[in-house]
Amino acid sequence: QPPGRPELLRCRSPEKETFTCWWKPGSDGGLPTNYTLFYSKEGDRSINECPDYRTAGPNSCYFDKKHTSLWAIYNITIKATNKMGSNISEPQYVDVTYIVQPDPPVNLSLEVKKQVDGKPYLLLKWNPPPLADVKSGWLTLEYRLRLKPEDGEEWETIIVGQQTQYKLFSLNPGKKYIAQVHCKPDHGEWSEWSSENYIQIPGDIELKDV
Amino acid sequence: LPICPSGSAGCQVSLGNLFDRAVKLSHYIHSLSSEIFNEFDERYAQGRGFITKAIDGCHTSSLTTPEDKEQAQQTHHDELLNLVLGVLRSWNDPLLHLVSEVQSIKEAPDTILWKAMEIEQQNKRLLEGMEKIVGQVHPGETENEVYSKWSGLPSLQMADEDSRLFAFYNLLHCLRRDSHKIDNYLKLLKCRLIHDSNC
Repeated sequence: QPPGRPELLRCRSPEKETFTCWWKPGSDGGLPTNYTLFYSKEGDRSINECPDYRTAGPNSCYFDKKHTSLWAIYNITIKATNKMGSNISEPQYVDVTYIVQPDPPVNLSLEVKKQVDGKPYLLLKWNPPPLADVKSGWLTLEYRLRLKPEDGEEWETIIVGQQTQYKLFSLNPGKKYIAQVHCKPDHGEWSEWSSENYIQIPGDIELKDV
Repeated sequence: LPICPSGSAGCQVSLGNLFDRAVKLSHYIHSLSSEIFNEFDERYAQGRGFITKAIDGCHTSSLTTPEDKEQAQQTHHDELLNLVLGVLRSWNDPLLHLVSEVQSIKEAPDTILWKAMEIEQQNKRLLEGMEKIVGQVHPGETENEVYSKWSGLPSLQMADEDSRLFAFYNLLHCLRRDSHKIDNYLKLLKCRLIHDSNC
């Protein structure tokens, strides 16, 4: 039997410089089935094939910098082929400008410190995702933190803005806390949360709100 | 440097301050442009396949602009500033007509009209700000008034509803795209000129 119709699931750019698309195969009709991604780009009549089927794993196509343009619509289809015939997905129209979702921030560190006036606070620091070029201004990221006591249920979410560190003054001495951070481009989707990081607040210090 | 009350002589806003304001404004304009596009798309464009016809349809596509980070970083800041000015100028006329013509769309929600008016006003403010920035980067130099003419008014006034709705869709699609370009280039320029590419 000819293969079932494949479906383009999603495309994502982690840093507005490359992007990847994933598809879901249809039924293979019980036969070895091959998948081909075709695309055309606004301003260019030619129909091209996926430049790289490997980098992003099975059922995916990775467009490196050379094959990625912003502010241009990509018309993308997937073709499934076996001995009995072929089937083509619905065309999808993608503009890399609007599919930016960064990787999570990295190196989240937590440290109890003291101000010059002796007041203790918790300093949280992190780095942007390595792929994101924030320095040149190509990508602008904002961050959100979340914390909760290890035995607690409710996360406290803190909107941090564009800085990569935050001072927290109101914590309970002797408690162990879990913290995570994630980020969002100026126009795009929030990343996944970073890996968790823990800190045990010493029991002998008084942490009060300012 | 003091923030100047408008019109006060001899008082100049710093370039860094001008860029801060310009980036806030360009970010705001793009957010509004996305909202108005999404709202229109949800209400009037579902299932009509407008996206396929919108390809290659922007009046500003004659302005050759960088398409990726490498091209943008290799573009001299003078050229990038003039491109931003050119794209902004190219939207003065269509935004003016968008505001008047949106009112003729059947059951157009007030939010779409309000956003069209807000974008039109903020686009003018951003253009003024950019002219000040260029004036500071190149004092005394006469600007080359490059921009792309828009001839889409008749299509916004067509009798056939599907054609008219597509004309609005295409204009809002292009506005969303161009406002993102401007925002992106300005953030790049700000980091390059004010923070020595170390934001």
